[in-house]
Amino acid sequence: MTDRQIMTGEEIRRAIVRISHEIVEKHAGTDGLAIVGIQRRGVPLAKRVAAAIEEHEGVRLPVGALDITFYRDDLSLVAQQPIVKGTDLPFDLNGTTVVLVDDVLYTGRTIRCAMDALVDFGRPRAIRLAVLIDRGHRELPIRADHVGKNVPTSREEIVKVHVEEVDGSEEVTIGRQLRAGEPAAGRQ
Amino acid sequence: MSVQAYGAAGVPEIDSAPTQEVVWHHRHLLDVDALTWPEIELIMRTTDEMKGILARPIRKVPALNGRRVTTLFYEASTRTRVSFETAARNLSADVVSISTATSSVTKGESLVDTIRTLEALGAEILVMRHSVSGAPYLAAEVFGGHVLNGGDGWHAHPTQALLDLYTMRQHLPGGDLRGRKVAIVGDILHSRVARSNIWSLTAAGADLWLCGPATLLRGMDRWATAWGDGAIPGHGRFHVTSDVEVAVRDADVVMALRIQRERMQGGLLPSLREYAARFGLNAERVSLAKPEAIVMHPGPMNEGVEIAPDVAVSGRAVITEQVANGVAVRMALLYLLAGAHETGRPHDAHSGEAIR
Amino acid sequence: MSPRAKTTGAASAAGPKVGEVVERFELEKAWLVDPVSGREGPGEIVVRDGVLESVVWLEGEEAQGVTDKGVVVGPGFFDLHAHFREPGFEDAETVASGSAAAAHGGYTTVAVMPNTSPALDDPGVLERIRSASRASGSPVEILAFGAVSAGRAGEQLSAMGELADAGVIGYSDDGAPVKTPKLLRSALLYAGMLGLPVVEHAEDIELTAAAEAHDGYVASILGLQGWPAAAEVNAVSRDLGVLADALADEPRARLHLTHLSTAASLDLVRRARAAGLPVTCDVTPHHLALADEWIAGSRRWSWEALSADGGSRDPWADGALTAWPYNTSLRVNPPLRTAADAAACLAALLDGTASAVVTDHAPHTVVDKEVEFGRASNGISGIETALGVLLALVDAGKLSLAGAIAALTTGPAAIVAGWPAAAATPAARKRGLTEGAPADLVVFDRADRWAVTEASLLSKGKNSPLIGRELSGRVLLTIAGGKLAYEDPQA
Ligand SMILES: [Zn+2]
Repeated sequence: MTDRQIMTGEEIRRAIVRISHEIVEKHAGTDGLAIVGIQRRGVPLAKRVAAAIEEHEGVRLPVGALDITFYRDDLSLVAQQPIVKGTDLPFDLNGTTVVLVDDVLYTGRTIRCAMDALVDFGRPRAIRLAVLIDRGHRELPIRADHVGKNVPTSREEIVKVHVEEVDGSEEVTIGRQLRAGEPAAGRQ
Repeated sequence: MSVQAYGAAGVPEIDSAPTQEVVWHHRHLLDVDALTWPEIELIMRTTDEMKGILARPIRKVPALNGRRVTTLFYEASTRTRVSFETAARNLSADVVSISTATSSVTKGESLVDTIRTLEALGAEILVMRHSVSGAPYLAAEVFGGHVLNGGDGWHAHPTQALLDLYTMRQHLPGGDLRGRKVAIVGDILHSRVARSNIWSLTAAGADLWLCGPATLLRGMDRWATAWGDGAIPGHGRFHVTSDVEVAVRDADVVMALRIQRERMQGGLLPSLREYAARFGLNAERVSLAKPEAIVMHPGPMNEGVEIAPDVAVSGRAVITEQVANGVAVRMALLYLLAGAHETGRPHDAHSGEAIR
Repeated sequence: MSPRAKTTGAASAAGPKVGEVVERFELEKAWLVDPVSGREGPGEIVVRDGVLESVVWLEGEEAQGVTDKGVVVGPGFFDLHAHFREPGFEDAETVASGSAAAAHGGYTTVAVMPNTSPALDDPGVLERIRSASRASGSPVEILAFGAVSAGRAGEQLSAMGELADAGVIGYSDDGAPVKTPKLLRSALLYAGMLGLPVVEHAEDIELTAAAEAHDGYVASILGLQGWPAAAEVNAVSRDLGVLADALADEPRARLHLTHLSTAASLDLVRRARAAGLPVTCDVTPHHLALADEWIAGSRRWSWEALSADGGSRDPWADGALTAWPYNTSLRVNPPLRTAADAAACLAALLDGTASAVVTDHAPHTVVDKEVEFGRASNGISGIETALGVLLALVDAGKLSLAGAIAALTTGPAAIVAGWPAAAATPAARKRGLTEGAPADLVVFDRADRWAVTEASLLSKGKNSPLIGRELSGRVLLTIAGGKLAYEDPQA
């Protein structure tokens, strides 16, 4: 498999900054706004979005991490139980507008699980979705509010987001799946 | 929900936590002796997450939605059964409950036949309590799903040992038991709790002391001697004594085990009164332990026998915490087992290699 | 079978069937072991019309290339302790299936224990066993012990005199000890008067109530209720004390202690024999070769589990646990002991304290064994694996080949010869490679390993802890009393 780079580190940085502006614009400010990253690569991305908003708005938004492991509907299909990475929502969800942040939007199942998990913690006023990559092939009626880059893919392809905090590098690559039985997406 | 340290940007440092990837491969959990230390730590971390769920407004996640957990109890133990069933329901599993009173066990059906029947009825995870040591190993041999030992004979009670370990870690700085003195006082001979705790606490590096009258310590001396020189990879030594003051002095953790009335008929003890006088955990004895020491008991307690009533309700007692942690540990184990589709090596239990 | 061997029988051109006289069998260039003459070496045998017509010892060039590592011929084996379960427990074994299993194990004579249902406490039960043996067609000779007490209940003596007239070779309440010392004294006196022994299963049943495994390190870790060595030591010392007492009244009183398993009890017997008491004892293959660590999942031989100082190694420390624990085929009475006790059993065999190896073949049904360890019936199905286990000792250099064969042949015969009324029976006399006598022999190949599987065992009892293992010494041919008892189907 040869991976092809589709975003550089600089392009990721610019996409995050653009999304951060869009979020504030769509919300008409920062009041009652909270950013929640989905474990695992959504978490560092959420932190960066929050940092970018702090940069241009001068406001430090609450940031959380959401582990959706216990909400997945495919547990009986995976070979080993996923390791739980931890949920941390250090603020009251009730009445907030939560922006969920994830790296890749694919079938939509992860986001559905994330929304299930989120509402177990409280009742947000609204939930929005920001993703770095939207690669299509939705299986559920879910749409992102903010997208870093739309990437048309085939189902056999794997989109992989590398972030410094987890992978030690910054880029987005696309490659082709080699073996049957491998997960169809870069994550999940 | 655990409190996280905040980094420079004011966001939780979730990803800075050490993330040693441990793959859970055990299809069954029959005793803690089969677990490596990293696996025990994985259980502890997963238990943290389950504690987080239990602290939420909605204490339930769909992780085991549609999976069937069957509890098969050949010994009455309402508290253990309820703990397992609560754990299973918190994970949205379907729970089927079989006890000797309701099953055909009393009509002489063999364990193997019972298990084959339960499997045919769709049981996927079997939580089993049995009075004969080793019975869950027989169950695991014939059952196509997962067996979780809820206590077998004198042999093992792995979920109790793990919840004990979890509770001790909560109360010790850094959750580190290395060099911490743990005294277990009571009927060691007949205790599956003691046996499983020997495996887990010697793996954790605790300074473990087992204490009881000589009649209830039988065989433990030779066990302790065999392990004395660090013979078992991944496990430290432990001590055996009939001197309760030696066991309790400067302890960080003091645990009392239940004394059963049958022991008098067996000629093992003169009387409960004498046991209470010589071995019971009273305030005076507990005062020999460290000031911040905790007092534990796996329950159910005979207050006034192995533990004095004032000790049982004192600020040092963490007995109700043990009960609460029991649900979280059992959630963690049900969750981990449910995902272990690939059979571990058939002999992963008791295998020398498997010990850390 | 060796390409140089040829077996022909009376009825069929393809060779005799089980029970038919072996018309002609010749074996060239094999290793012969004759424990009566004490001779072993390269040789040839010829069987004609059921008689061992010639035994030729080869020398010089003719003997070239013949070693004791290949095809071996010895006298047919004699098991002094087996349970064929008939009448009463035919699901577990019958005289027919037990005889077939015995022949597969190289045995031509088997003494069965009386713990049947009804117990063998009167001649009628013995006649049922004999007629089952005749009906089986097997030429394996079945001897029997009568019960000591009526119904093995430990209350009053069985029909001892009638049983002696019918031909039992001794008395035993095996499965349990003779219940009280008082009854034991009566039994020793009455049996002594009849010229026969009491064969004692030495166990202090008060100390073993609810016991599951040898009271030692393994039981402590596995949470199994301890079966103390003291239970056997107590019983042996009781039995020896009562024997000494009885001898004062009846000098022909004889005691045989079967399946001894501990160093301490064997030591008591050693000292009693040195003091001149007429006591003999035997040990089993499983107490020689297996140790209690097998219950935890070890599968190494007992001598591999022995530490340099003669103690037992720690299977947990050694990483020696490779099998699933609590295997009920390891539940046996007396229980598997420590590696050091196993070494003591071997030492007793080597110094003559124990002069025989007996199988204590105890077949059980799946129903009785596929249960919780503590609820499983005691016993190992062992008559087909005894030779292989002893050959493992030989392969490990712990026992000579001649010593192993003697323990299965002349050893038990000599014990029986010490019982006045049984001394004249064929069981006590035969066990040599004697020209002109009815052929009674076993041929096995030490170079040919065979897999112990449920299918490979002819016994109905598949309760062998050796299932899944390979043993050396595949039995190729067993001839009992001149008749074919077993022939390897691939031969
Ligand atoms: Zn016996």
